[in-house]
Amino acid sequence: METLAVVTLAFYVLGYFVLGGADLGTGMMLPFLARNRAERRLVVAAIVPFFLTSEVWLIASAGLLIGFFPALEGELVSGLFPLIVVLLAGWVTRDAGVWFRGRVTGDGVAARSWRAGCDAAICAGSWLAAGAWAWILSGMLGGTFTRVLTDPAVIFAVLAVLVVFGLHGLAFAALRLTGAPQRRAAQGFGAMGEKQAFALTAAALMTLVAAAGSGLELTGSAADPATLAWLVPAALALTPLLMASQVWVWWLFGRRVFAPEDQDNNVLIP
Amino acid sequence: MNAETLELARLQFAVTAGAHFLFVALTLGLATIVACVQLRATVSRDPVRTEMVRFWGQLYVINYAMGILTGLVMELQFGLSWSGLTHFAGNVFGSALAMETLVAFFIESTFLAVWIFGWGRLGPWAHVAVFWVVALTAYASAYWILVANGLMQNPVGTRVDGDTLVVTDLSAVLTNPSAVTAFWHIAGGALLTGGFLVAGVSAYHLYRRSRHGELFTRSLRIGVFTALAGLVLSVVTGGMQFEWLGDVQAMKIAAFEGDSAELDALQAAMSAQFGAGDYTPPSLARAGGVVMLLAFALMLWLLIAGALLASFRRAVLRFRLWHVVLVASIPLPYIAMIAGWVFREVGRQPWVVYEMLTVEDAVSDVSDTVMRASLLTFTAIFGTLIAVTVWLLARHARRDPGTGFLGRVIDERGGQEPSTAVLTFVGR
Repeated sequence: METLAVVTLAFYVLGYFVLGGADLGTGMMLPFLARNRAERRLVVAAIVPFFLTSEVWLIASAGLLIGFFPALEGELVSGLFPLIVVLLAGWVTRDAGVWFRGRVTGDGVAARSWRAGCDAAICAGSWLAAGAWAWILSGMLGGTFTRVLTDPAVIFAVLAVLVVFGLHGLAFAALRLTGAPQRRAAQGFGAMGEKQAFALTAAALMTLVAAAGSGLELTGSAADPATLAWLVPAALALTPLLMASQVWVWWLFGRRVFAPEDQDNNVLIP
Repeated sequence: MNAETLELARLQFAVTAGAHFLFVALTLGLATIVACVQLRATVSRDPVRTEMVRFWGQLYVINYAMGILTGLVMELQFGLSWSGLTHFAGNVFGSALAMETLVAFFIESTFLAVWIFGWGRLGPWAHVAVFWVVALTAYASAYWILVANGLMQNPVGTRVDGDTLVVTDLSAVLTNPSAVTAFWHIAGGALLTGGFLVAGVSAYHLYRRSRHGELFTRSLRIGVFTALAGLVLSVVTGGMQFEWLGDVQAMKIAAFEGDSAELDALQAAMSAQFGAGDYTPPSLARAGGVVMLLAFALMLWLLIAGALLASFRRAVLRFRLWHVVLVASIPLPYIAMIAGWVFREVGRQPWVVYEMLTVEDAVSDVSDTVMRASLLTFTAIFGTLIAVTVWLLARHARRDPGTGFLGRVIDERGGQEPSTAVLTFVGR
């Protein structure tokens, strides 16, 4: 049961970093990818149908961690307290920017500043959240799990992990976008195909996360057998259903976003 | 443990949970109304009802974000600030949270994305079915959270093994009356919140003699009758909880009644059983209970009168004093909800798991400086976001139907596949 619990948890954690890491990375690269108003809108639109359905993987991971390994969750999260606060602050800021961006419409100064503020929140929030992850992962790679690593050398590791997040965001943007932002996203990957580039950055991120997590002492800290005996099968039974809903979302909204010719022609759908 | 850290951790959790509770109450109530209206709109193909789905649906969507954002911070706060709780009760408590994230939240958010961006992409029946999944999983979410909270109030189906709680009877945990009755109580409160909001916003438009008189007449009636149903449900289940609360949490009842002789007797009995300590809940619990009942009484009279008035079409359209009263009553269910929550949660103090673990023993071993910094961070962020959300809700509630973002795409010249419900959502 414990092994199954570890595998299930790892599946959701890796899923989060591949999907949620991609939209964080794209958010980080927003100023680089988009140079004008129409392009900024396009880049945010590349994230929008998926940011909710990607971050639920992290919420599921946190739920499974607390369900399968409650004591470990307490130790990890309270040990890494300041970084978790930064992660949450960045995440909440990013999400608010995405959610609220289109809620004030118009072309006046107020509406333009509103959108600029939301874009800034998306970018800054993405950097904060990815930075907190990078710091947490760097500490874990160095074998420190329950306190914040403050060795000055950690800065290099953090920067290296941030580069992986950024590249993953670019690979995602190259898959999702069209036009000039798409070319900017794809240029770093040279002649490599877009799908190969995404697979490569996803693999890099997953390797990093798997290596960071492999040092965790999961087996000694599991919930009691009576709890695992029902919770693990329940989680496993639900997983195919959850995956089907995710596949559906990708099937519905997975096509590239492109700029409409006429931005002002709103049409009501029946 | 540093006493200051404890108070800061409690304040931080109260700020997060309180904000979460108020926003999800509206989420739950509005989801129910939108799901029912959309079903009728789909059956009748009535354009007024379709416009109602768009109008109320966009308030639902704006409100939804705050529920997620506070919810995810809250989920991590259990480990962040209350590692003693996850250590002691994690076997039971953690599994309820895990089920909530998988069964409810994961599906709810995924399907909500499909509903918002799939407008026009899905057939009308598939589209309404997607929203029913969103609404039902929101209720499932409330149920699992109340299983976790019910365990804190009344840890049935478990026993203490060493220094942790283990499950002895899973069905007792899942049918804990402190969870199930409270679930219906909160479902009633959510309908009350959603109903008052819909009635109040409709009254605002009718007061202004909106040209969408038909839409808001129907909406006002839906709001009033939904609120009345919610009030009855929450009163019945609230009364049921009072009935047996004396058996499981006699101290809470004594605190509510302000019976000092009974409080002293219970304090002495608990000190004898659990060792010296203060087992009397703060007086805030009583204040919460009293405010809840006052708000209830006020809403009862408003809704009885409202149900009568709503039967007369002329009154719905023209009785402007009533419109003003309805707009002014939008906050009432919120006051009742937060007061009831204060009564329930402050009334269990000093326990985090009733008669098993105190809050003092549950708080994480972090310094008060770190706790203060995180409290300031979250309060500043949530304060800003709450202000922005309330402002956006008020702004969209005052607008004419037909001007919102939901269910609208930007016309694609050239017949390419529209990615444009997304573009409408992100704005210009």
